[in-house]
Amino acid sequence: MNWSNILLIFRREGMDQLRDRRTLFMVVFFPILLYPLIGAGVLQFAAAIQERPRLVVIVGAEHLPKAPPLLDAEGKGLNPDLFDSAAEAARLEVALQPDDGPWGEPARREQAVRNGDASAVLVVPADLPEQFRAKGDVAIPIHYKSVDETSQVTYLRLREALDRWKRGIVEERRKQDNLPAGYAQPIEVKALDAATAQEVGGNVWGRIFPFLLVLMSLTGAFYPAVDLCAGEKERGTMETLLISPAGRAEIVMGKFLAVLVASVTTAVLNLISMGVTGLQLAQRASGFGGADPARQAAAALAPPTLQSALWMIVLLIPLAAFFSAICLALAAMARSMKEGQYYMTPLYLICLPLIFLTMAPGIELNPFYSIVPVTGVALLLRALIVGDYATAFRYFPLVLIPTLVYAWLALRWAVEQFQDEEALFRESERFSLGSWVRSLIRDRGPRPTSTQAVLAFAVIITASWLFAQATLATGSVGGLGSVAAGQSLILLVPLGMAFLLTTDPLGTLRLRRADARYFALAAAMAVTLNPVVAELSRLVQWVFPVSGATQEVLKSLMFGDLGLLPTILVLAVLPAICEETAFRGFILTGLQSGRRTRSAIVLSALLFGFLHVFLSLFQQLFNATLLGVFLGLLAIRSRSLWPGVLFHALNNGFAVGMAAWVAWLSRIGAANLVYLDPKEGVYQKPWVAAGAVASAMLFAYLWKHDRPGPDSGET
Amino acid sequence: MIQVEHLGKSFHDYQRGWVEAVRDVSFECRPGEIFGLLGPNGAGKTTTLRILSTILRPTAGRAVVAGYDVVEHPEEVRRRIGFMSAGTGIYDRMTAWELVEYFGRLYGLPKARLRERMETVFGWLKMDDFRDVLGSKMSTGMKQKVSIARTIVHDPPVLIFDEPTSGLDILVQRVVLDKILELRDLGKTIVFSTHSMSEVQRLCSRVAIIYRGALQAQGPIDELLASHGQPDVEELFFALVERADALARADSDADVDASPARAGGPTP
Repeated sequence: MNWSNILLIFRREGMDQLRDRRTLFMVVFFPILLYPLIGAGVLQFAAAIQERPRLVVIVGAEHLPKAPPLLDAEGKGLNPDLFDSAAEAARLEVALQPDDGPWGEPARREQAVRNGDASAVLVVPADLPEQFRAKGDVAIPIHYKSVDETSQVTYLRLREALDRWKRGIVEERRKQDNLPAGYAQPIEVKALDAATAQEVGGNVWGRIFPFLLVLMSLTGAFYPAVDLCAGEKERGTMETLLISPAGRAEIVMGKFLAVLVASVTTAVLNLISMGVTGLQLAQRASGFGGADPARQAAAALAPPTLQSALWMIVLLIPLAAFFSAICLALAAMARSMKEGQYYMTPLYLICLPLIFLTMAPGIELNPFYSIVPVTGVALLLRALIVGDYATAFRYFPLVLIPTLVYAWLALRWAVEQFQDEEALFRESERFSLGSWVRSLIRDRGPRPTSTQAVLAFAVIITASWLFAQATLATGSVGGLGSVAAGQSLILLVPLGMAFLLTTDPLGTLRLRRADARYFALAAAMAVTLNPVVAELSRLVQWVFPVSGATQEVLKSLMFGDLGLLPTILVLAVLPAICEETAFRGFILTGLQSGRRTRSAIVLSALLFGFLHVFLSLFQQLFNATLLGVFLGLLAIRSRSLWPGVLFHALNNGFAVGMAAWVAWLSRIGAANLVYLDPKEGVYQKPWVAAGAVASAMLFAYLWKHDRPGPDSGET
Repeated sequence: MIQVEHLGKSFHDYQRGWVEAVRDVSFECRPGEIFGLLGPNGAGKTTTLRILSTILRPTAGRAVVAGYDVVEHPEEVRRRIGFMSAGTGIYDRMTAWELVEYFGRLYGLPKARLRERMETVFGWLKMDDFRDVLGSKMSTGMKQKVSIARTIVHDPPVLIFDEPTSGLDILVQRVVLDKILELRDLGKTIVFSTHSMSEVQRLCSRVAIIYRGALQAQGPIDELLASHGQPDVEELFFALVERADALARADSDADVDASPARAGGPTP
């Protein structure tokens, strides 16, 4: 890769974007304008709540005692001594109603609150004076409407005032009885809010702004990407660049860097604008007094600290890289700016739920969320904004590394798009479903395409999911029968697609005989890999513990004692045949077309891993992917499905027959030689190490020394 | 300098299946020569020239440009050719000077040499009065001159012009054709595609007539006219087109079962 070409292209594309008014607006001006507008809006909104009059209707005020006074001297408002400030008391308007009038009816009072005629209605009972004299308990009902913000606030104020008034009454009685101060109030509850000012502020930011930041870095990547790919095609300058000596990968890198800078700039400008707005609001807030709602709102918008901001930028760069690469790949497919815009909707639809998780209550950063694309970053941003550094730094690498990996994969995809003649020089043709299906069957080749391979995976996932829902609905969960049925679905999809879409279904599914040594290699691999797989799954469960509830569900799915043979047939042999036909047969063969062996194996292994996430537990992703890599190489080198089936069946068989195996080992007194914890199947460390070395050597042997000759058709 | 042997290119399309856009095309072009590729729209001219410029990969045959195979050493080929077509536009948000400089640097010209080349090219094409005009503000003629400047800034030995005059008014057309002739006199190897008979007669020493993705005839114009017994290029062209159409009809009548559209996909 020639970096001077990449820099040249990057500089040109960057300058091009700076000269484009639309991009400049989206990237620079929009964020600068957005936050002051939000800030002003919040203040206005708070002020509006404050401006609304709050009418308190007091029914039966004539029964109130003279001392301590609840009302002010004129009887037109509440006693200001019961509030923090006279201004606050003045905000509650008071209207007095006799209790023998229409307001004496509870229905009338409720009506008034419901219609908003009064924010709250306080009823002074007629027996108050007697109770007061008898030092008895008095209940004072207050009508209010909790869903009405104004009514709710009025009610809280009123209760606060009544509390103080009650204390006055107690004080009065104490004086009458000559008791010491504190006699009637031995305990006073003091509310101590543990949240620091930063946390209170951060909470509001923490919910809204990861959302905005992520969305903005996506938007900041999308417009330039569409302009630099689809826009260039539309303006007829893409070909000009393609015929220059710059390679496709260099062109993608140059464009990618330009899009990345735009995306990061958008995000950072958002961050700065957000911070400056927050600072201003905080300053304005110090001008307000007391429990002013505007002050509270402003305090809640205090900006994140500089430290948080710096870490956020570090985090936003890989996220922006991920978005930039995805947008670039999508935009490379589009023929025009308009078509590019169409791709934006699905992209946003996929990203929005991932970001929305940060707004949901009770969602905290955990190892699982940390590796989910976009969500991990959004949740970590929230932790940083809130100032929860302990969580943030614990998860920082766990979020950063997967995000970098996703970005790299997306970039590879973008480069692939640029090497695809069809993507770059696609001409519009009228689409008709009929002729498309006809062409699929008429023009099928001996092997499926990559797209068909991915489609097969999607169909398998969808069918399996629907099947699982159906068994849940009919209550026939569990049992070997439903496992067998589920597995046959996985088998049917590749079989059907191979026979319909290819001219050589047997070759596609690798249904050929294999050399005996491949079976030996497969068995050796399965045996040596077993301790490694066991250790890996223990590690995974340690990092990503399976929740108690999930374990319960899994236990309920356990099968009764059906005998070893049927269990091994259904849980080891059948999945081996079905999953191998799908993943090493149709899908791997399809992915091999026009791709390096290495990439095809890794991609098929990842899809195999995802199948296990969908069908059972997220924790199986790692193991299944690792096994998928071995199985993929085995299938390609042996040119047959069967050694992989043996490997797969052995691997599953170990798990199924584990109890019997451990029991036998115990009988000959060797259980502790092999296992650290025979019950859980944890191997002694030397076995794990030996297994890792041996399986790696077998893998290397297959990879290096067993390349097929050029005439075998494998590339 | 350019050797094309049995070149073929198939595309897939939903309506027609595998379509052979170019089939068994062979020709040669030497320095100091303009080789004309004459054919109607959709005949396969652009596909052939895109393969020569390495942005499409052939599905059959081979092509060697300036000593390098287009499939094996595409970067080396691109470094040594100048390519201009209707599809190679210029950037709206760049001035003439910036654009030519940008491509000059992509071709790896050292600064001093680039500066010198640019002064020469801008002077030669009389572009000095719109050096600092943005692409979006240029007239069609100006844009075409910038394109030519971009094509020759690195002084490549091989030049490929794919319908460089389409959509131009006659004044600009004349300028472009004159410049191509001047480039020939400088010893460049030039391939020139067009659907205009008069341009072929004016520029080309040898010509190939391409129709339905295949070459129908090629050679020096005089020899072609003589051997086909036609008075001028236009008559020759229509005679060849009619012959090709008749052959295609005969083909499809001969074997109805073998769909003529399905010419066979690329070899796996």
